[in-house]
Amino acid sequence: MTQARFLRSARIAAAGLAMGALVLTGCSANAGNTGSAKADASAQSALLTIPREDMGTFVRNFNPFAPTVTPMTQQAIYESLLVYNPANGNTTPWLASEWKAAQDGKSITFTLRDGVKWSDGQPLVPADVVTTFALQKKIKGGYEYLDTVTAEGTNQVKFSFKTAWSPALFDLGQLSILPDHVWSKIADPEKDPNEKPVGTGPYTEVDTFQAQSFVLKKNPNYWQPEKQKIAGIKMLAFAGNDGANLAAANGDVDWAPQYMPNIEKTFISKDPDHRKYWFPPTGSMINWQLNTTKAPFNDTDVRKALSMAVDREQVTKIGMSGYTKPADCTGLSGNYEKWKNKQVQDNCEWTRLNVDEANKLLDKAGYPKGADGKRTLKDGKPFEFKISVGAASSDWLSVANVIAQNLAEVGVTAKVDSPDWAAVVAGYETGDFDSGIVWSANDPSPYKYFAGMMGTATVKPVGKKAFENYHRFGDPKADALLTEFAAAADEGKQHDIADRLQEEYSAAAPAIPLFAGPEWGAYNNTRFTGWPTEENPYATLSVRAPTTVLVLTSLEPAK
Amino acid sequence: MRFILRRLGFYLIAFWVSITLNFLLPRFMPGDPVSRMFARTQDRMQPEQIEALRKLLGVDSRPIWEQYADYLHNMATGQMGVSISRFPTPVTEVIASQVGWTLLLGGTALVIAAVVGNLLGILAAWRRGGAIDSALPPFLIFIGSFPYFWLAMGALYLFGVTLGWFPIRHAFSDTIEPSFSWDFMSDVGMHLVLPALTIVLVSLGGWMLGMRNTMIATNAEDYITMAEAKGLRPGRIMFRYAARNAMLPSVTSFGMSLGFVVGGALLTEVVFAYPGVGYQLLNAVQGLDYPLMQGLFLTITAAVLLANFLVDILYVRLDPRVRAS
Repeated sequence: MTQARFLRSARIAAAGLAMGALVLTGCSANAGNTGSAKADASAQSALLTIPREDMGTFVRNFNPFAPTVTPMTQQAIYESLLVYNPANGNTTPWLASEWKAAQDGKSITFTLRDGVKWSDGQPLVPADVVTTFALQKKIKGGYEYLDTVTAEGTNQVKFSFKTAWSPALFDLGQLSILPDHVWSKIADPEKDPNEKPVGTGPYTEVDTFQAQSFVLKKNPNYWQPEKQKIAGIKMLAFAGNDGANLAAANGDVDWAPQYMPNIEKTFISKDPDHRKYWFPPTGSMINWQLNTTKAPFNDTDVRKALSMAVDREQVTKIGMSGYTKPADCTGLSGNYEKWKNKQVQDNCEWTRLNVDEANKLLDKAGYPKGADGKRTLKDGKPFEFKISVGAASSDWLSVANVIAQNLAEVGVTAKVDSPDWAAVVAGYETGDFDSGIVWSANDPSPYKYFAGMMGTATVKPVGKKAFENYHRFGDPKADALLTEFAAAADEGKQHDIADRLQEEYSAAAPAIPLFAGPEWGAYNNTRFTGWPTEENPYATLSVRAPTTVLVLTSLEPAK
Repeated sequence: MRFILRRLGFYLIAFWVSITLNFLLPRFMPGDPVSRMFARTQDRMQPEQIEALRKLLGVDSRPIWEQYADYLHNMATGQMGVSISRFPTPVTEVIASQVGWTLLLGGTALVIAAVVGNLLGILAAWRRGGAIDSALPPFLIFIGSFPYFWLAMGALYLFGVTLGWFPIRHAFSDTIEPSFSWDFMSDVGMHLVLPALTIVLVSLGGWMLGMRNTMIATNAEDYITMAEAKGLRPGRIMFRYAARNAMLPSVTSFGMSLGFVVGGALLTEVVFAYPGVGYQLLNAVQGLDYPLMQGLFLTITAAVLLANFLVDILYVRLDPRVRAS
């Protein structure tokens, strides 16, 4: 009997081994299959393949109100009234053919484009816009300035504001418009997965949807059929940059919008004729923000002196691998290129490296250097503080390290503190931090940026949660200019006020601007051509921006 | 029977402690899900929308004991709520859609590693100083002490990219639809090879060494000498006398590993872009997605406890001493 049991277990073990062997041999026998899989891939080459690096798997959820919506929902399926392109500062009328702001700045009327149809064949009507904004306000909030949205006639929508509000144009114009005839029937719009989306975009038809990839095919009723030159879009899911970068290096994807370290070597060098990258500095301005509720950071001279001690060339070269350019004292990133005040820009003192001047300024402001070469604060304590950055951002971490080294030269000790991002941001929000590397608002209009940098309205007391203006700097002079800006309906006048805001920014130095965040983007034009480039910046290479639809309607299969 | 009932009582208490920890630990982390989401999207979210989002996602601001009572009630009734990072998908759906791949990958790798490792361990100890015993352990330990990430990347690069023998990502080709056909199954098998192989390689050494060491101790026992003196066949002594007794620690660790398989293989998923719950768990922790975290931890806890319970029962079968006590 024991003998029989041994035999049985031996048989089970043998079966296990055989299974293992089967798997192994199965693989080598199947090795030929990879070739045919590749042939399949080339048969489907008409699909524009794009990786998504931060979703290990996709969930079928095309609801644009969901905080983590399936990629391409707001780029290929739904469209907005207008598209602003930060790369060249142009605004393209999209679902709206034109718009007009009222003289008093208290309303804007959009005229909807003729002949636009939803993917189910119904025409685009003003009620769609009205419903979209009603849902948006109800589910997601915001738009506090908006009083009413009313349909006018058969093709116009009028937005009325509580007070004059000039930044509204892009705020309203860039929201994805949803069909009223579909969404008014959805019982629970915030929780509906919207599995079969009906949109006006170029690629709306969900073809195959799997956890690791999905395909969007052409909208049969698109309003610019001549621009649907690609057969469809295929998204691939990746749990992290490494997998996505490998797919890009291997030539499996056409568009690579994720960050790639050492891109020249890992990506371009494999096929320099077809592979290109372009990182326009149109991201948000990345600042070194000092907590201005604390001494000595409440002292403008200190902020300027510390800024002059920072070697921004080194910061961008070492920290950001040379992918971006140093900031100037307008505080504006490449996104606001056409708003920049040339006069302020040409006379930047405190954003240029000048160790002597920094030392002089700190001496003068009353922070003397001791015998050991280290400065002390006014209360006699050592001039020491922390720079907080999330541990996950290795690039910003090295930015902080460069700054810490630079500061040692003026006798100031900065320690880089790098816990988890969540802990860092929790500190920013409650105002319990010394300094940190922080992003800023990035809108078509500079209003929100300046409001978040130096408007008193955005300053929250320490201990109360703030979601912008972490450095808690408010300036009554800026407030007056911001109010004036909001009321200015005329763009020329807005530019005048923006010029004065930059003068005020440069004088007050609310934060220390470091560099403009680059918009990552690379492509492989083996299968598709017509990509935006530095010479033809009709869009950026981002796949999550409003401009993505411009790229999708410009690409065509390579001949 | 008393033994099993006593174990069962112990497991119930262990279960309560672990679900309480599941509840408390995430809440000790700084921040809340909405500010994490905000920090992650950086400039792409409007500050005005935060309050509305908090309400939409149902972020709780009630006293913690009330949340706890609610949580226990939900756990008892099997309601795990809606995931925050994957809003509005229910937690059960998020887990169910991925756990199959996790079990396939983890289970395959574990079974192969345990069976092969134990057999090698038995053989190595039986022929002490022989070829298997002197060459394999150092080699396997050498492989096993490589950083897994590096090994996986290396294998992926060599066999996937350079030689092109195996696919370099995902659980199956995105050109074919899942079905119960041979094409699909073999495609899944192909995609499984590299991820499973790398896991087997790094874990094989542990299984082999563990088995070898206990086996050596067992080989010195009197009853082995006795069996040899009686003239039993070496194969019978090796498996029925020595290995059976030496196997107990291996069974325990197999049970433990079986439970942890449910937690997913994060690094494997990252390198091979293999779907599974590991990356989902990482995302949930980073995004403070309490419901998803609780759901995943609950699944893992339940699986580990269940696997241990099964091992306990198996022990009764394998080891008469447990029955006697």
